[in-house]
Amino acid sequence: MTSLVTARDVSKRFGDLRAVDDVSFDIEKGRILGLIGPNGAGKTTLLKAILGLTECEGELSVLGLDPFKQRKKLMRQICFIADVAVLPRWIKVHQLLDFVDATHPNFSRESAETHLAKTKIKKTSKVRELSKGMVAQLHLSIIMAINARLLVLDEPTLGLDILFRKEFYANLLSDYFDEERTILVTTHQVEEIENILTDIMFINDGQILVNASMDSVGENWVELAASGDNAAKAKGLGPIFETEMFGKSVFIFENVNRSNLDGLGDLRTPSVADLFVAKIKQARAAGGVA
Amino acid sequence: MISTQIALIRREIWEHRSIWITPAAVAFVVTFIAIAMVIMAAAFGETVNPEIEQLADATLPESVRRVALAALLVGNTTVFLIAMWFLLIFYCLDSLYAERKDKSILFWRSLPITDAETVVSKLLTAVLAIPVATMAAAMVSHILNLIIMSVWLGVQGANPFRFIWGAVPLFDTWAAILIFLLAVPLWLAPLLGWFLFISAWAKRGPFLRAVLPIAILPILEYIIFRSWNLGLAIVERLSFTAIPIFNISEFASRFDEDNLHAALAQDVSLMSVLDVGRFLGSVQVWAGLIVCGLLVTAAIYVRRYRGES
Repeated sequence: MTSLVTARDVSKRFGDLRAVDDVSFDIEKGRILGLIGPNGAGKTTLLKAILGLTECEGELSVLGLDPFKQRKKLMRQICFIADVAVLPRWIKVHQLLDFVDATHPNFSRESAETHLAKTKIKKTSKVRELSKGMVAQLHLSIIMAINARLLVLDEPTLGLDILFRKEFYANLLSDYFDEERTILVTTHQVEEIENILTDIMFINDGQILVNASMDSVGENWVELAASGDNAAKAKGLGPIFETEMFGKSVFIFENVNRSNLDGLGDLRTPSVADLFVAKIKQARAAGGVA
Repeated sequence: MISTQIALIRREIWEHRSIWITPAAVAFVVTFIAIAMVIMAAAFGETVNPEIEQLADATLPESVRRVALAALLVGNTTVFLIAMWFLLIFYCLDSLYAERKDKSILFWRSLPITDAETVVSKLLTAVLAIPVATMAAAMVSHILNLIIMSVWLGVQGANPFRFIWGAVPLFDTWAAILIFLLAVPLWLAPLLGWFLFISAWAKRGPFLRAVLPIAILPILEYIIFRSWNLGLAIVERLSFTAIPIFNISEFASRFDEDNLHAALAQDVSLMSVLDVGRFLGSVQVWAGLIVCGLLVTAAIYVRRYRGES
């Protein structure tokens, strides 16, 4: 397996604030990685470093290139959609296609037009005349027509209704993703994408809390719903997280032998969202003690 | 490389529609005024524009008729020139600011285009696209004005093909006007570079941030050194007549009172008034271009290293 992105001790400081604090990780080809973190955790800064939009310390290589110094070369093989990278409102749809066609060597106009034909977007419309959902469709149509090796999505569906959001990810999976391509996505709507992710990375205060494949989540974490004495016993086994739901205590355990929990209640693999909350609270509690 | 630049410049023209709307509007107004004058002349039976009728005076020497027609075209072009001057300044001030204001900068930067290519395309738009658009509108306006004059003369029974189309030194005048329109942004280059830099740098209010130093620094120079060198240099850059492109000896002979008739009797050429060699050999021009180059480089760095979203 070759690494598409290699980060070793990558940091980005803004004055005293360490937005990204000494992180190391690899992203491999053919994965869909969810980068998940609370607001201000350093997600966007890390993505910007990967996209060559900001300089950082440490060793960062994307597709074998230095993203900041070789941004133009990198951008031929990387695409990104970010809620902060909005399409210009003054441009007409056909002008946008003309421009990307003229400047991007890996863009297929034909493919973009095929995607657009499935939408209600008119080529003579200006972006400002389109609804927010249509703008996202337009952006996705362009991105999907670019033969890129890495696609970075930073809150791509922010502010869209549920129909658009579902369609967005469905299109991405059916028409775009294959084993040669890699997708890196951040979103707050974790529940909606957890079934398409192959890997997750949790980030908090600029540091990586979890970096795991979805397959390994079930091996490393387990959720237990218990009540009464069982709940008290479970608490004694050192859960990393505890909450109440429907009169039952819900615990999340990390690296425990499942057999120890047998008979205490219902066991299942925690959802990414629950695991995220558990890990963040754990980290904050630890930070509070320190 | 060149195809990327062409795409980028075309993009500028799509975004900044004032690049063609401004000269087109000037052409419209100039033509409208010409038509209105002819209609008024017809309605009141008076000669509102006696110059036009003098053109049909068969006793007028041919060379004088040529000068009169060339002067008419130059006078018409002055309006375009002033509009272009404002357009250049406001375009440069807006070009790198607008993409941050509408938050599209990250989209543009998601394409395989360097910051240098983008910033250079904005400079090229100012230096090439704006003068060319202005020239095109001026040419249309010239043709329309000559047609209006022809109709007017024709109605009066004079032959417009002889007195206008046969006499107007159209191509000589156009060549000179085009050269001059191209020289204006090169002369303004240090200021255009300054405006581009402020456009890339200012978080808000680029106009004030660009203009205040230009206004305040000369005053500071006067307070401290009791001299006006900077102020004079800025005023010189802002004026058309200071451009070192005029053929001074040609000018002197043309406007010598004693020589005026002799000068007019010669075959007049507007091109002969311009001295491109003098312009290209001017230290001032090159010094301005170097300053512009430094400021544009600064603008590229600001766009590249600014980490804000």
